[in-house]
Amino acid sequence: MGEVEKTFISGLKEKLVEEKVIDESQLDRDFAKEITKYGGKDVMTCLQCGNCTGVCPISLKIDYKTRSIIKYCQFGLKSYTLGTRWVCATCYRCYEHCPADINPAEVMIALRHIAVREGVIPPFIKVAATNLVRYGQSVKPDEEINKIRNELGLEQVHSSEPSYKKVLREIGVLIHASKYDKLIGIEEEVKI
Amino acid sequence: MTSYAYFFGCVIPNRYPGIEYAVRWVCGKEGFDLDVMDMPEFSCCPVPGIFYSTDKNTWLLLAARNLVLAQEERRDIMTVCNGCLTSLLKATEYLQDPKAMGRVNRVLAQIGKKYTGVPRKTEGRRKVFEPVKVRHYIDVMARDMGLETIASKVKRPLKNITVAVHYGCHYLRPTENQTIDDPNNPVLIDQIVEACGATPVDYEDKLDCCGAGGGVRSHVVDLANSLTEDKCKNISAVGADCIVTGCPFCLLQFDNAQKTFSKDGIPVMHVSQLQALSMGIDPISLGFDTHHVSAHSLLRKLRGA
Amino acid sequence: MGSPEPLEKDSVERTPSQGTRDATEPRIGVFVCHCGSNIAGVVDCVKVRDAAEKLPGVVVARDNKYTCSDLGQEEILKAIKEGDVNRVVIASCSPRLHEPTFRACIQRAGLNPYVLHMVNIREQCSWVHAHEKENATQKAIDLVRMGVSKAARLEPLEAREVPVERAALVVGGGVTGIQSALDLANMGFKVYLVESKPSIGGVMAQLDKTFPTGDCAICILAPKMVELSRNPNIELLSYSEVEEVKGYIGNYDVKVRRKARFVHEDKCVGCGVCTDVCPVKVDNEFDMGFAKRKAIYVPFPQAVPLKYTVDKENCLHFKKGKCQLCVKACTNKAIDHKMEDEVLDFKVGTIIVATGSETYVPMRKGVYKYWEYENVISALELERLLNASGPTGGHLIRPSDKATPKRVAFIQCVGSRNKKIGNNYCSRVCCMYAIKNAQIIKEHEPDTEIAVYYNDIRAFGKGFEELYHRVREEYGVEFFRGRPAKLSEDSATKSITIRAEETLLNKITEREFDLVVLSTGLVPSEGSKRIGKILSITTSPDGFFMEAHPKLRPVDTAADGVFVAGCAQAPKDIPDSVAQAKAAASSAAALMLTGKVRIEPLTVAIDEDLCVGCGLCAELCPYGAPELYESEKGGTKARIIEALCHGCGTCAASCPQKALTAKQFTDEQINSEIVAALTPICGAQKPPQKKNAETEV
Repeated sequence: MGEVEKTFISGLKEKLVEEKVIDESQLDRDFAKEITKYGGKDVMTCLQCGNCTGVCPISLKIDYKTRSIIKYCQFGLKSYTLGTRWVCATCYRCYEHCPADINPAEVMIALRHIAVREGVIPPFIKVAATNLVRYGQSVKPDEEINKIRNELGLEQVHSSEPSYKKVLREIGVLIHASKYDKLIGIEEEVKI
Repeated sequence: MTSYAYFFGCVIPNRYPGIEYAVRWVCGKEGFDLDVMDMPEFSCCPVPGIFYSTDKNTWLLLAARNLVLAQEERRDIMTVCNGCLTSLLKATEYLQDPKAMGRVNRVLAQIGKKYTGVPRKTEGRRKVFEPVKVRHYIDVMARDMGLETIASKVKRPLKNITVAVHYGCHYLRPTENQTIDDPNNPVLIDQIVEACGATPVDYEDKLDCCGAGGGVRSHVVDLANSLTEDKCKNISAVGADCIVTGCPFCLLQFDNAQKTFSKDGIPVMHVSQLQALSMGIDPISLGFDTHHVSAHSLLRKLRGA
Repeated sequence: MGSPEPLEKDSVERTPSQGTRDATEPRIGVFVCHCGSNIAGVVDCVKVRDAAEKLPGVVVARDNKYTCSDLGQEEILKAIKEGDVNRVVIASCSPRLHEPTFRACIQRAGLNPYVLHMVNIREQCSWVHAHEKENATQKAIDLVRMGVSKAARLEPLEAREVPVERAALVVGGGVTGIQSALDLANMGFKVYLVESKPSIGGVMAQLDKTFPTGDCAICILAPKMVELSRNPNIELLSYSEVEEVKGYIGNYDVKVRRKARFVHEDKCVGCGVCTDVCPVKVDNEFDMGFAKRKAIYVPFPQAVPLKYTVDKENCLHFKKGKCQLCVKACTNKAIDHKMEDEVLDFKVGTIIVATGSETYVPMRKGVYKYWEYENVISALELERLLNASGPTGGHLIRPSDKATPKRVAFIQCVGSRNKKIGNNYCSRVCCMYAIKNAQIIKEHEPDTEIAVYYNDIRAFGKGFEELYHRVREEYGVEFFRGRPAKLSEDSATKSITIRAEETLLNKITEREFDLVVLSTGLVPSEGSKRIGKILSITTSPDGFFMEAHPKLRPVDTAADGVFVAGCAQAPKDIPDSVAQAKAAASSAAALMLTGKVRIEPLTVAIDEDLCVGCGLCAELCPYGAPELYESEKGGTKARIIEALCHGCGTCAASCPQKALTAKQFTDEQINSEIVAALTPICGAQKPPQKKNAETEV
């Protein structure tokens, strides 16, 4: 994006940004359809009333507006949705209040599906998936906690029993079968 | 009597073993003596913020695997976590669609499993299947046990204790299919708290999010913490002695976030821990030492009472 | 509607039988219409005509540029005469459009009007297959072949006429019902107006001013109410409910329950002495609870009839068995606590349903805190607070401290355009009444800050947009595009803070107001639901009554002789309601003026020998036409009340005994069409036997 410097008569220096106009090449016409493919409702029915933004706890904190995201989805401005895909807390307040009966939270989830398929994978996804494959749980077992469990008389979380190995194998098979390992790049973790 | 299977999920066993102890104690011989069994083969539910968010097929497969285990034992799943509840409940709803069930079963065949739902009755030659029932601990307590029974088990009423209840989003929403409580005016935890002898207090924006869900805590922890700060401000404004929630992930968020913006913080505990306290458990067994916010102030007040 | 008496054979006048020729040998005339380029632009009409010519039974085949034109009709007449045609097939547009035209045409040629069959090669062929001309032509040929095959089996039918009672029932005494009743009465018809409340007037009587002109609502309504009460042709049945309606077009038997008002209407002069002495005070519904009324009351000073009513729920006599102060006070001895409900029976020819709508009541525990915060009020409550004859004398106050609000917010689309609560429709009046009320507030207190939170402003009517501009420009009312997400109350000042995304600013704003008005939408009234069941008229998905055609029959319903007007049909403003009221009155009058109505002979015939009286037809019929009776020969049988039958064929299709036959759509006729569709073109096929037809299908 080139920038032009221009001096106004009053002496004000303003940087004018070119390409303020969105041209059609930036629009992805099938974006709305792609969203429905991953379980989002049809964003085209949105009235743009802004109720979702108002009830969204995240919108009150950062420069993120649920309504704007839906608008970008309607237009097919895919790149505009990139930075905001992972901040939705999926609290579903937007869904409860939406008069058009869209589920904006599910739209965000569909956007995440799309992001992952484009290789935008935040590290915590990999960590959690790796934990699941290794331990059968998304939270990594902790030595200290295991000690406390022992004191309380609770069984150890991570045991070397053969039945537990079977669980891990089954999880591996399922993750491999749905190609999830390949999708988020944890192929080396999944041993079948 | 209904028979249940414990579903503790990931956060409780690996971060808050005290909750697990409390639940086992409350449901066990000392408490309600439920017909409940351990299923060590349960895996992660899987967590909605990760798997449901990135690949619904994988999510459904992993959730179905857990459901099949409960189906084989003919037991209701009793979750202690809102995340597990929403994940498994939603999975049973997805699996109502015969096509989805077929797709899932084709893959599950590779590990020798098949999801059908639980056969409830026979009509002529045809068996009628119902989805595996997924229940929340709160639901089981308030509905199956009943508030009167809960109150009758109380040995040490938690007088003088004011409690701010945090329900957590996935306990209430989305209301697309089914809800355990009134999503606009939930009451069950408040009622349990009352049955335990403590006083629930209302506060501004009670139904708001703790901030952790959907991967926000993992992704942008500051953002999550700032939401929690808002909640905590509202809770301190009404002077609650502790926060009680039904979700270990919300608990984890309240517990961890508070140290970033306040020195002491408000103690947080799970409903089961509060219940166990009222039923006379030795507080040492509740694993409060694994909590970041010290529960000393609260326990001192309890002893004083 | 229940089961009315069947038409007696004697009362039915038969139209003089047209001189149908020998009907044994079908001699069919086929006319293919070009419809300009509508059909001919896609379908090769000449080819269709040529194919038709070769079909068995066809003696004449023609193609015309416009068959419906005078020239086209002349050609039909000529061909019928020259070719001695006794069955006619016209391949053109939908029968909905020109069937009556062509029926009249062949009747002029001396044929029975029902030996006509129309083949739709426009809507169902050329328009939908515009890009595949050859296939379209082939399809047109197939359709004509089917039509010819059916036409060979058409039977002449006779239309019948029934008399129409010259009296009308108007249900609902709002502005719509009042206008309908007045129009009909002025045309000289007897009108029964039934209103469930003690006074007529409806919602309009509660309003302050009307948009966009600012006329005082009651000032323009009250003269009409008085006019109505004085009209000798109108019998005003206030405080009454329609209980039962039986019969069919022209002949409805109506049962109305006159609820006991414990005051004799003929004796009460409306002096109000009784209300002065009554010790009971309750909230006045008419003033939305902002003022009190007594247990014996008139809802508002301009009430019509100006007769007092005892509120049984609150009257001490009914609650505790004593008091009777009003009885002692009344010099005319009009009050009678022993009065009982009366049931009135009368007969009408037409019915106008004007049961109106109610305003949406916001949810408990909802976002807008209507039930929690005192200073959140509904729009109808605001109307009363602004009304000069209202509880505050037109001085706007806020409920918490009775102070004049300095900052007022309107929230639009409450209960409308919301799929979550199932009200997907726009209520059409909320934008304008909010704008109008904003103007009134500004006129009363020019310093008031007013904000309107809206989604879209719909100022579509005459003078509406101008008013919208005036309140923005002259009065400085602010408009914010965004749906409020959260309302919170300051516990000390009771002021309300609204949080909303201002979508045009792209920012979340929080602004404080003294008073918040919810612009609540309109929902079907309880009375509508009740009367809908009694008259078995259908509703649209939104719950309002469905009109017979959204554009061309806007006040007709699926039940003949029953018309719908005003907000019972859909939310609308006063001018539209009055316009519909007049339309309904004129439609009803047209029926009553003729004094008789023709009934289409396309009904269902029943073979009593086959009928086993299972009652499935009676259960399925949407019009209540079949009725069960004990046959003289023994056993339960069904019979069809022809005046109610619309010939939809639902019963005939479902009859397990095949005892029912839909005329013009007999099994034989339909089967022959199917066989023709499946038979290759130009095969000199014989008209198939009935048995063959069934086996092949």
